[in-house]
Amino acid sequence: MSTPEDIARLRQLKESEPLQKAWDEWTKTKKSLEDLKPLLSDSDPSMRALAAEEHEALDGTLTQLLQSTFPSLLVPPSTTASLSALVELKSGAGGTESSLFLADLLRMYMRFASANSFRATVVAENENEAGGTKDAIVEIKGEGAYDAFRWESGVHRVQRVPSTDAAGRVHTSTATVIVLPLLEEKDVQKEDLFRMEDVKIEVMRARGAGGQHVNKTESAVRLTHIPSGITVSMQDERSQHQNKRRAFQVLSARLMDQKITREIAERRATRNSLVKSADRSEKIRTYNYAQERVTDHRIGMSIMNLTSVMEGDALQDFVDALKKDHEETLMEEMLNDQCD
Amino acid sequence: MRLPLRELKWLRKAAADANRPLDALVRRRQQGEPLQYIIGTQPFGPLELSVRPPILIPRPETEHWVIELAARIPESARHLLDLGTGSGCIPLLLAHLCPALSAHAVDVNPAAVTLATENAARCSVTRFRAFQANFLDPDFHVHAMLCPPYDVLTSNPPYIPWNEYLELPDEVKNYEDPRALFGGPSGLEFYHAIARLAVRERFLSSDAIIALEVGHDQAEAVGAIFESVSLRTEAWTDPWGKKRTIIAYRGT
Ligand SMILES: C[S@@+](CC[C@H](N)C(=O)[O-])C[C@H]1O[C@@H](n2cnc3c(N)ncnc32)[C@H](O)[C@@H]1O
Repeated sequence: MSTPEDIARLRQLKESEPLQKAWDEWTKTKKSLEDLKPLLSDSDPSMRALAAEEHEALDGTLTQLLQSTFPSLLVPPSTTASLSALVELKSGAGGTESSLFLADLLRMYMRFASANSFRATVVAENENEAGGTKDAIVEIKGEGAYDAFRWESGVHRVQRVPSTDAAGRVHTSTATVIVLPLLEEKDVQKEDLFRMEDVKIEVMRARGAGGQHVNKTESAVRLTHIPSGITVSMQDERSQHQNKRRAFQVLSARLMDQKITREIAERRATRNSLVKSADRSEKIRTYNYAQERVTDHRIGMSIMNLTSVMEGDALQDFVDALKKDHEETLMEEMLNDQCD
Repeated sequence: MRLPLRELKWLRKAAADANRPLDALVRRRQQGEPLQYIIGTQPFGPLELSVRPPILIPRPETEHWVIELAARIPESARHLLDLGTGSGCIPLLLAHLCPALSAHAVDVNPAAVTLATENAARCSVTRFRAFQANFLDPDFHVHAMLCPPYDVLTSNPPYIPWNEYLELPDEVKNYEDPRALFGGPSGLEFYHAIARLAVRERFLSSDAIIALEVGHDQAEAVGAIFESVSLRTEAWTDPWGKKRTIIAYRGT
């Protein structure tokens, strides 16, 4: 996302020395390539060969400049870099098999988080009888957690023979992942995401006489943010207070997510942005167990070691590639701006 | 009896945390023992308290009004007294949320005094002292450990009347101390004693605030008891819609 500050920073960067140097080199190389053109069709074969060699070298320099020097100088530091993440997982088409797959995804994310030194806590989870998980919310704490996880948002599809299918047929099912930006409690107020009087807080279930008469644990809480219609129910914690805190955390994350999406949309409207806001209904990845293959459809990348992905290890390769893809898009956009 | 999935999850965690066999915990629950006693703790606001039989398990209604009260206690308030403290939940949470307060807590039951003291250490609340005393005793106000005047007086006294006591669920009746629940034939005995204390010369400061939990249908009667000794009162509603807390003021 670039904000007005980013743009100011970019201007500053353009004037900065390293960028100037890279820019000069880029112009010089372009010019040399131009100059070389006539020689490529020279009548002397050895001259042509020489020119071709030189051309290749210059081309390499340009590519290098374009793919790594400029990006590292140009891509503004992410405005979400400091944020933690809240990852919501929801089972989709495919019944029990979908919830079994969701449990596998959950495990993958927990391992991936710990390999990256993030602190991951399952804050809500609805398990079902078969050992699957119908839905879950995981808090991933640590700087950079949101940026690492954000490209996981979307529909994940699995193709495999479920452990529950005696006939051994391959099933296709899906699970949806939604990654939300998580603010520190003290930052929630700064962002001005909601007003307390706009949130209706309800406790669930009747308690009869209540008080000393009843010692059942009844801690479920539901919040409704009236202006946006967002509702959050929380019942995994053993006290009202804790469930309320968790519910407010989820509400803030959803509202922050809407805010970021809105900002991207505004940018897109004003300057033809290429930056996509995650489309949650888009099928982003397929896990094919029979072929040990995981494919990310957005960048057309396949990893032929599904086991390693599910262990959280090779997931890093997807995350890195998606991050790079995003940065390239940002850069392309900036270069386009420069040409306008 | 099949346990709700959520209870099972909490028990599973308790078993793993303390290295206890899960099936034993599940069996105790199936026999009707309160979940909180089996796990051994109960969150109360941001605190986590130890609980053990037969000391009353802190209730969500109490948690709710205590958090509200913390926001109403003036910064000038220094000394708090809690009558019938049980686990110590009320004074500990208030002292935690209002750093200027130091708290005294009394209970007739020595086991409650021990538990409350333990909980203070567990929650790192140092401005706290619990001691054994009977606040129905006519000489209670001259007890050597008290140091009036107090700026805040709180109590969740036993309030269940005789006829309702007999109808309590087994989970309450068979595990929690009758002395923590039974409020005399009318359920109102303790409020009369508290009202007498509240208007005793120099027991409370002139602008003291008094907060009392009451049973589901007692708000009006308890309000009347405090108005009859010329205190101003208001009633607060709990999250389930019951008038749960009577607030009384000495000041005008
Ligand atoms: C309803 S429990 C409340 C415990 C705790 N304050 C809470 O809210 O969870 C009442 C407590 O008052 C104590 N108690 C009963 N009669 C008492 C008396 N005469 N003097 C002092 N404490 C008494 C009981 O032992 C019990 O711990």
